[in-house]
Amino acid sequence: MKTIATKIFIAVFVMCLASAPVVHGKGDDFNSVVKMIEEFYNVKHVGIPFLAKAGMKVATTAARIKGGTARRLAEAGSIKLAVFEDQKFNGDFAKFRSSLNQALHATWMPLIQTLSAAGEEQTYIFLRDAGDKTNVLVVTIDERDATVVQVTLSQKNLALLLKDPEGTGKAITEEATLIDQE
Amino acid sequence: MKSTFNTSLITLLLIVAPALVAKAQDTRIQMSSLDHLAAKASQTVDVNVDERLMKLAARLFSDKDEDEREVKKLIEGLKGIYVKSFEFETEGQFGAADLEPIRAQLRGAGWTRMVNVVSKKEGNVEVYLQFAGEMINGLAVLHTDDKELTVVNIVGPVNLDKLAELEGQMGIPDLGIESPKPKKKTNEQ
Repeated sequence: MKTIATKIFIAVFVMCLASAPVVHGKGDDFNSVVKMIEEFYNVKHVGIPFLAKAGMKVATTAARIKGGTARRLAEAGSIKLAVFEDQKFNGDFAKFRSSLNQALHATWMPLIQTLSAAGEEQTYIFLRDAGDKTNVLVVTIDERDATVVQVTLSQKNLALLLKDPEGTGKAITEEATLIDQE
Repeated sequence: MKSTFNTSLITLLLIVAPALVAKAQDTRIQMSSLDHLAAKASQTVDVNVDERLMKLAARLFSDKDEDEREVKKLIEGLKGIYVKSFEFETEGQFGAADLEPIRAQLRGAGWTRMVNVVSKKEGNVEVYLQFAGEMINGLAVLHTDDKELTVVNIVGPVNLDKLAELEGQMGIPDLGIESPKPKKKTNEQ
């Protein structure tokens, strides 16, 4: 009798464990998303050092990130940025969205997702708890360009993001990729 | 024997607990049936502020700042805000069949359509509250226009005054809800 009850308990316990969400390592998600975009759309991102060397328009991003305007929102030194420039982003956006959500759902919370004109413009904002701060991952994709930004926000700036998710999300991307007009 | 009883009790709890959790989340409207409309829409917005984020937000908004204090007061006790919104270039991109899965949920137990709600927004705005006795457990708004469809679902203790104040915050669109009169009518389609 005892054996049967124990077996049932173990079986139920194992089932519960099996149905629990798998927690992935925190460090790799930014790179995974960049790689996912590369594979899904068959494109290549350009790193900041390369941009700086090539003197491309986003080159000033690096300077901005290290100590410029982006710090208004992000914590110093917390920004990860990948830029895809002037490439074709053709593909089933619904499928991409589904893959992205699937890949991140275990550790990131989707806050807001906007799609426009049959996927020509896509914006995804995910949040992840990082102790007394919060990681924010913003993915924007349009017909020719895409950006993946991960920043760490202080509580004050997270409050701004939660109050106006769309506006603050755009501000994070714009500040991280700001073209120097001066 | 006692050990067998304890084991059986734990087993029972493990089986029953998920059902109890599901029951507590009944005011959450499942909106994934609308996802296929994204392919036809010129603009799709999907907002998910779940209980974890609501708690976080309530903690983050400052009591010192007047604006933040107001928002904090509004969201206290809420368990989630979910919004799905579609804009279309042309008319006729969605119909009653698309909305039926949402309406079917709103015909469920506890949901009551508020018939005296006025909105400044064009089109048809339907507001539903879920009552548990005198307590409000959740709110749903269904806004349809020729080229627009929006579903807002707020989980937790909320009223229409609160909704009007939350418009434009936390991803909730401007629905133009005006202060309601204190009348309600049982759900009918």
